[in-house]
Amino acid sequence: MKRLRLLLGTELPVGLILAFALLPWIWMMLSSIRPDAELTQSPIALWPHQLTLAHHIELLNRTSFAENLRDSLIVATGAVSLGLGLALPAAYAFSRFRFRGRNYLRTQFLVINMFPVVMLILPLFVLMRDFGLLDTYVALISGHATFTLPFAIWLLTSYIDGIPPELDQAAMIDGATRLQALRLVVQPLAMPGIVAVGIYLFIASWNEYLFALMLAGRNVRTVTVALQLFIGENQIQWGLLMAGGSLVALPATILFLFAQRRLVGGLTGGAVKG
Amino acid sequence: MKRRTLLAGSAAALAATPLARPHAQRAVTIRWWYHFDDPKATPDELVAAFEKENPSIKIQAENIPWGGGGDYDNRLYTSIIAGKGPDTAMVKFNNLARLIEMDALVALDKWIDAWPARTDISADLWRLHTAPDGKRYYMPLQYVVLYLYVRLDLLAKQNLKTPTNFDEFLTAAKALTGGEQWGFGMRGGSGGHDSWMPFVFGTGAKPIKGGFVSAEAMAQNRYFIDLYRTHKVCPPSAPTDSFLQIVNNLKASRTAMAVHHISTANDMHATFGDAITAVPVPRGPMGGPNGGFATFGDGSTAVFSASKNQEAAWKWISWLSTGPNNVLYNKSAGQMTVTTSGAANWTLHQKRFVDATVQSLPMASVLPNVPQTADFTRVVWPQTTQKALLGQVPPDDMMRTFEKLFFG
Amino acid sequence: MLAPALAAAGVLVLLPVVNTLWLSLHHVILYRPKSRPFVGLENYAAVLADPVFWESLGNSLVWVVGAVSLQFVLGFTTALLLNRSFAWRGIARALVVVPWALPSVIIGLIWTWMLDFNLGVLNNIGVKLGLLSASVPWLAQSETAMASVILAVMWQGFPFFAVTLLAGLQSIPAELYEAASIDGAGTLGKFIHITLPGLAGVIATSLLLRMIWVANSLDLILVMTGGGPGTATQTLPLHAFLTAWSGGNYGHGSALAVFLTILLLGVVITYLLRSREG
Repeated sequence: MKRLRLLLGTELPVGLILAFALLPWIWMMLSSIRPDAELTQSPIALWPHQLTLAHHIELLNRTSFAENLRDSLIVATGAVSLGLGLALPAAYAFSRFRFRGRNYLRTQFLVINMFPVVMLILPLFVLMRDFGLLDTYVALISGHATFTLPFAIWLLTSYIDGIPPELDQAAMIDGATRLQALRLVVQPLAMPGIVAVGIYLFIASWNEYLFALMLAGRNVRTVTVALQLFIGENQIQWGLLMAGGSLVALPATILFLFAQRRLVGGLTGGAVKG
Repeated sequence: MKRRTLLAGSAAALAATPLARPHAQRAVTIRWWYHFDDPKATPDELVAAFEKENPSIKIQAENIPWGGGGDYDNRLYTSIIAGKGPDTAMVKFNNLARLIEMDALVALDKWIDAWPARTDISADLWRLHTAPDGKRYYMPLQYVVLYLYVRLDLLAKQNLKTPTNFDEFLTAAKALTGGEQWGFGMRGGSGGHDSWMPFVFGTGAKPIKGGFVSAEAMAQNRYFIDLYRTHKVCPPSAPTDSFLQIVNNLKASRTAMAVHHISTANDMHATFGDAITAVPVPRGPMGGPNGGFATFGDGSTAVFSASKNQEAAWKWISWLSTGPNNVLYNKSAGQMTVTTSGAANWTLHQKRFVDATVQSLPMASVLPNVPQTADFTRVVWPQTTQKALLGQVPPDDMMRTFEKLFFG
Repeated sequence: MLAPALAAAGVLVLLPVVNTLWLSLHHVILYRPKSRPFVGLENYAAVLADPVFWESLGNSLVWVVGAVSLQFVLGFTTALLLNRSFAWRGIARALVVVPWALPSVIIGLIWTWMLDFNLGVLNNIGVKLGLLSASVPWLAQSETAMASVILAVMWQGFPFFAVTLLAGLQSIPAELYEAASIDGAGTLGKFIHITLPGLAGVIATSLLLRMIWVANSLDLILVMTGGGPGTATQTLPLHAFLTAWSGGNYGHGSALAVFLTILLLGVVITYLLRSREG
């Protein structure tokens, strides 16, 4: 009986939601292994009659897609490291310290994110050019920090708010410094939040297009820019595009597969702050 | 995408050149931006061939995403303004006015006039590539002319011949509409202005000041909108149909006629064989090739004023536009060669599509070359036309909007 | 502790923001780099007088409210479900991020294709199951275009809430639930009295952040409809983007951007005042 309840009450709804989440992607993947002729039939057949890996082979052999995946990986990993490295101490400060201008500063970080990205492109381009950083990994990683940092700070602050400050204080009474309190007490407890924010940063950087287009391009070419190359003026390379798309979602998914194990609750006792 | 250093280039030049010209002792590197529709196509073969003939010049070719044009253009303008632009690049007519305003172009006349292969490019093409100020900043590289695809087999079933004027066109479109099929695959989405212009300017109106609001243009525009709204010879999705939809609909036999150009000819032939052909777009009652308007799809190269190696850049682009090189180039680009000699033995596409293209050249024309042109093609035309197709604005207002945009 | 983040934000963001404000007070056309006259508030006046601005604003409202609420409801439900124990929970959690992990250009193309009038699988299935009497040109009609893009962005964004809220749920101590069970509370009671208060902070923050993100996003709409048909799906950031990117008019585009920011700021300040942060 309990097994049935689990099945109907939990596993079935999860299955339905996963179906919603995955079917469009599966449809896309399916299209990437179908020959062109099938893709232009109307009404389109649900099940492929012929499968072909030609698109994937073409993608990896005759374009530079593998290198693009590598570039995207480097940029995204850098963005996550930079973002978390800067945001965690800042979020801790916002959560634990009470200082004048605290709310103002927090809002400032948010205001920054309200500016449409296209407005940031031109001045950033000039900035990167002046520093000789155009077309480098550094340019993109720091460019991405413009929108990852504020979100990371805000999200982490609210996660840390949920950890009672009495815990750090207890650690400091025992002789720990602020930094040690952060590293040894707060960080492990905030791990679910850190994982969530890390994934958010990775995905935001992975999927970013405008900065990658304008601030880089030749030596550093991310997958978003590479995919755009498949959409030409007079044709769309549908097969290649779908093949590329099927590969693009993999890193984030695999990453989260490992990271989600850390999405486990902490060892807090006592009431939780809202 | 490997960067070749100047050092390596110089060493190669010294080692490989038996006839070193006095001013070519150090290798120069030319940065060239381009975009191919087919990401598998690369200019490597061309670059290698050029560098073999010109050992003192190295070409650094960079493939820039097109992004509907906006991405390519913005990258180009921003780089030029920031002083990081390429030496030469592929450009379109709708960049011309903006680049001239930025003082970014070098007039090529002095080089063109001394260029022996200039006679291999037709007078029509040179006419189209001359800027409003009479100078030539652009080198023809590739082109298409928009024509009309028609399904001969479907027409034959209705005992109709291929349409040559607008009355015949409407008759054919109506006859070919029924069930799950529509006579004309209208393109109301982005890029659709190319297939709209032959209708609007096909009876004598011209895209010059006052032309958009002339009686002929207004009447033809009403005719165009009526195809969708009144006669219903177009699929209901027409207002936002763009390239992918009109091509797929044609291939799936959902539509029987559509306006496009030679880059899709091979695909169509592969799908239908001889059952599909291309003819010049319908013309006004004056008839004849000069009585209509075929949209010219351009693709050119230019040399930028900030380049430190303008002559070398000219060598590259003129080489690309020379006979066999241009033929090889257009194999990757999928478009028509600009050289007459190349067109004579053109085997890349089936003959009837080449004929339709070449026959349309005398009536080929373009939009006014003003700074607003890019905005017109990307935003103003789709948005306004879609509203007219959906009945939200009257067709005449549509033309007034365009006249105002171009000429104030 | 704050210093590194502040420094980074200062250089990378404050500078461009100030630059945007500067641009909005001048007549700036990208391809006319030599002529950038100061025009004061002329761009702002032009924005207010432009009916397209007001139309875009209205579209933005529909877009934000529709997208965020749908994403939140589905995301929250997913988080609650993925918080429970079942054998394949790990895989389920990993797979749920797939929509979120795809670039907007791919998502836009998938949905455009699935909704295609002729070849779209959704039309195909809809007609076969009798839900639709005929194929619908979803993206070519003003009435259905907005709903279509909202559907696509809901698909893209609900994993954000699922992951964020799931992490928040993990921070609620299990003892609270146990104590409540002992006290006789049922599932709904636990949800209202323990889960919601425990999550309140994260819910509020994630909603706020998501609203700002959705309000500013234009990638998906750009790929799927370009703002069309006509201007039916043109939101404010898309209008600003096209003005700058296509028209080259960075002065007017910047003014639009500033307006958007001021509007969002209004919402944020309201939120902060109401939550009475101590």
